[in-house]
Amino acid sequence: MSQNEQSDSAQSSEQAAEDLIHRIGKLTRMLRENMRELGLDKEIEKAAEAIPDARDRLHYVATMTEQAADRALNAVDRAQPLQDQLSDRAEALDKRWAEWFEAPKELDEAKALVVETRTYLSDVPDVVSATNKELMEIMMAQDFQDLTGQVIKKMMDVIHEIEHQLVQVLIDNAPGAHARETLQRKAEDQWKSDNARRNEDLLNGPQVKDNVPDTVSGQDQVDDLLDELGF
Amino acid sequence: MADKNMSFLVVDDFPTMRRIVRSLLKELGFTNVDEAEDGQDALNKLRSGKFEFVVSDWNMPNLDGLEMLKEIRQDDALKDLPVLMVTAEAKKENIIAAAQAGANGYVVKPFTAATLEEKLNKIFDKLGM
Repeated sequence: MSQNEQSDSAQSSEQAAEDLIHRIGKLTRMLRENMRELGLDKEIEKAAEAIPDARDRLHYVATMTEQAADRALNAVDRAQPLQDQLSDRAEALDKRWAEWFEAPKELDEAKALVVETRTYLSDVPDVVSATNKELMEIMMAQDFQDLTGQVIKKMMDVIHEIEHQLVQVLIDNAPGAHARETLQRKAEDQWKSDNARRNEDLLNGPQVKDNVPDTVSGQDQVDDLLDELGF
Repeated sequence: MADKNMSFLVVDDFPTMRRIVRSLLKELGFTNVDEAEDGQDALNKLRSGKFEFVVSDWNMPNLDGLEMLKEIRQDDALKDLPVLMVTAEAKKENIIAAAQAGANGYVVKPFTAATLEEKLNKIFDKLGM
């Protein structure tokens, strides 16, 4: 390679770099103008504001669900002794009656038994209504589902909106009609594959979809797999 | 039949899940139950106390259930401790990884009381507890 050719190639690469910088600059300007024109700068500002809000919503969901679980578990803890008490007292009375019928003794003893049995019978409705109150409490505790469900739905809308805006900005600013078309197609494919996407990480949390490959859908499949492996 | 005084450590970062597991164990007659909120907390408790059985979640902050299990198996004082994983991780590679790390059982959430009982009994039988 001659001196001349070397300097030529250095010159042309310098030229190419300048072209590139020029094009990036033009693209950035175009992007900003487009965003203003489309009102996207406002949209993105809105999206950025939505993120702390989304964090609060998630916190709310976490709090609500925990409270609901505690409410239900507390009700169970209160109701169980009531049920146990009814059952224990009935069993004890029944046993004493059986003994009395087996070998009838003093009439006084039978009288005492009658009185205690009547007390028990009159206590039953109170205990049952107390238990029912706890059952109602368990039912009412499930109201978190409605509230958290709404909040989650709103959050999904926000996320969807952010994604939509960002993808659209990219597509609108792709140089050339052909590239735009390709990007549009890619974006559509992305939407489709989002449903099938899976994380290779070992920390995926609960399976929220059925029939995901390489994933068990219940305890039976866990057991089968472990058997297969000889564990 | 397993000793009802057997000491359990329930490891989960969600208090609700710890409470549910504790209640289920109580229902099965096991009342000697302590709790830890992550793998590190669990290791500290296991090393300073006398526990005979561990029921652990996988996905937890600080030290996850799998790493905790590996540490337990490498610790001479703890290596024979039965560990039952109770986790929402349902990928086959998770189950295989847990088995290879030395888990004695694997229960996938959401689970039923009957499943927990069955897996516990299976481990008791296997280990002659």
